[in-house]
Amino acid sequence: MYYQRTQNFSSRRQQNWSRNQNTVAFVSAIKLGPVTHTVLVALMITVLGLIYLTQATRATSYDYETQKIDSQIAELNTQKSDLQIENARLTALQTVKNSSVASTMVAPTSTNYVAQ
Amino acid sequence: MNLELQKGSRSKILAAIVLGTMAIFVIRLFYLQIIQHDYYVGLAHDTQVKRLTIPSKRGLIYALDGQTPVPLVMNQDVYTVFADPLIVNEDDKIIDTVKRIAGGNARENLQELLDKKNSRYQILATRVTRLQANKIKAEDLSGIGFQEVSERVYPEGSLAAQTLGYLNFEGIANYGVESKLDKRLTGVDGLLQSVTDVSDVPLTIGNDNINRPAVNGENIVLSIDRNVQFHVEQALDDGLKRTGATRGSAIMVDPQSGKILAMANLPTYSPSKFYEVKDAAAFNNGVVSAPYEPGSDVKTLTMATGIDKGVVTANSTYDNKDYIQVDDRIISNATLGQTGTITFQHALNWSLNTGFVTVAQRLGDGKSITRGARDIMYDYFYNKFHLGQLTGVEVAGEIKGTVISPATEEGNAVRYSNMAFGQGLDVTMVQVAAAFNSIVNGGKYYIPTVLAGVVDKDGKYIPDKPSTPTTSISKSAADQVREMTHVARNTFFSSVDKAGYYIGGKTGTSQVIINGNYSTDETVGTYLGYGGTENVSKYVIMVQVSGDHKTLQGARDALPIFTDISNWMLDYIKLQPKG
Repeated sequence: MYYQRTQNFSSRRQQNWSRNQNTVAFVSAIKLGPVTHTVLVALMITVLGLIYLTQATRATSYDYETQKIDSQIAELNTQKSDLQIENARLTALQTVKNSSVASTMVAPTSTNYVAQ
Repeated sequence: MNLELQKGSRSKILAAIVLGTMAIFVIRLFYLQIIQHDYYVGLAHDTQVKRLTIPSKRGLIYALDGQTPVPLVMNQDVYTVFADPLIVNEDDKIIDTVKRIAGGNARENLQELLDKKNSRYQILATRVTRLQANKIKAEDLSGIGFQEVSERVYPEGSLAAQTLGYLNFEGIANYGVESKLDKRLTGVDGLLQSVTDVSDVPLTIGNDNINRPAVNGENIVLSIDRNVQFHVEQALDDGLKRTGATRGSAIMVDPQSGKILAMANLPTYSPSKFYEVKDAAAFNNGVVSAPYEPGSDVKTLTMATGIDKGVVTANSTYDNKDYIQVDDRIISNATLGQTGTITFQHALNWSLNTGFVTVAQRLGDGKSITRGARDIMYDYFYNKFHLGQLTGVEVAGEIKGTVISPATEEGNAVRYSNMAFGQGLDVTMVQVAAAFNSIVNGGKYYIPTVLAGVVDKDGKYIPDKPSTPTTSISKSAADQVREMTHVARNTFFSSVDKAGYYIGGKTGTSQVIINGNYSTDETVGTYLGYGGTENVSKYVIMVQVSGDHKTLQGARDALPIFTDISNWMLDYIKLQPKG
């Protein structure tokens, strides 16, 4: 069994003996060329763009939801208003006076008062 | 190998063309993006950003039913149905649908309107309800559109029409509370500025979005009690039919607050059909906008002045000759025969002019209506009883009338002798009722008002704070005059009132001035009275009837209307009779 070195370490101690500086430098074995760099940057920009678009679209979808609810509220308010008007018309004095119930009512012949 | 392009080669020319084209693009882009930047940003803004007005709602107007607000004026969204004659292609179906659904709101000549192909907008029906509009929409007719408008609706019909006023087709308030309190009733429109999509749906993206909600107008509660108002209008209508009068007005005031419980005028109109009114006089609220010579009703105020100044009492006496001389004029009584030494109570019972001219004289040196007497009368009439000045009642069209000052040449002794029994001054019914109110309640003058409070946005009724009265006369003087009017009524009309209550009042029959002269064939009949218990009065009512070339009298024509209202009111307020 043997171990193969996959990474190269080079001591920087010889290069710089200053205090508080790393004395070991990491150097990747994989070398990326300029084309790869460009592609990666383009991909990153694309991903960020997609994220932005997703969020913007999600916000817009909430707007449609809000608009839908607003419309429902407006519709219900209109219906409520119509019903209030109908209620007011049905309970108006002239309507009550002309109703079949009122037509059968008679004026009291006498009134008794409870002694104060 | 030499790779340099040769001078004048095709490749060099192509490179020059490409570079030239690029340069044109760059210059053009520079022009569009840098120089024309603001223009195109504005253009994009105008296209993408919409400014939508959020319409505010006009405040509702309520009356009271006891202590509960009930709506008198409400808002309803209705629709105008219009057609684009250039687009419509199903004339028969459109005509059938609109007539069937819109009914009486559809125009008569629909085919004629649809044939106007040079027009893009023809109204087919107006004031169509939402339900009707939805039914028409369901028919899916091409070239038909709907325009939403808000209009006032009146569930109680013509009730209190002159007090309410109306909105015309342009939405402008006319007459009544609508006009007087227009600023309070009118709301403030809101604004929604936002980027919108193609369907005009507002989106949250964008930096300049504004969402300012609309502020609706105030919902105002009137002190008018709809039951009282209804009965007052009915009693007035019955009275006009009975007497042959063509015009009538009535007002009822709560003596303990100055709040107006009813204010009625006939002929009347329906505010929802204001456009059908042929005589604009129907819009006028005669209670506040028709000054007249009040006649004998004012004798109560003259008496109150005399008692308050300590120069007379109900039982003081004077020598009645049925006439009295003031400067070069002789003033006579309308009712003759009560001559000799009589009390001022007797003079009030019989409404004798001489008695009240005598009161005016006693405010001076006892023999003539001196400048001092006139100053006192003016002080009471104008400053304390507020006659001849605007009361401030919240109804449009109030007219202040005229009380001539003694400081003017016209304010002489003859003028003030006439004023003592109700001539020579122009006042409105609301002024007289408010002045008399201050006698009935013990000397407290309340500014008459039709306002009771507001209904907030949650529908909760918030009553106004009670107003603070001023003092018109002493309580003692007020109580004496109240008793005098009670005696005056019971001298002749005791049998008409419900037993066990304390009712009083004074008749008035005024001559009408036409072209500067008193008419011989036209008089106005009034009655001014109150009702309640001996300790406290519950209402003050003033009734007026009149008509062109009609001699109407207070006792014969106006008093029965008062009695009708008064007896009904005692039941309505469930006041227990004495004994």
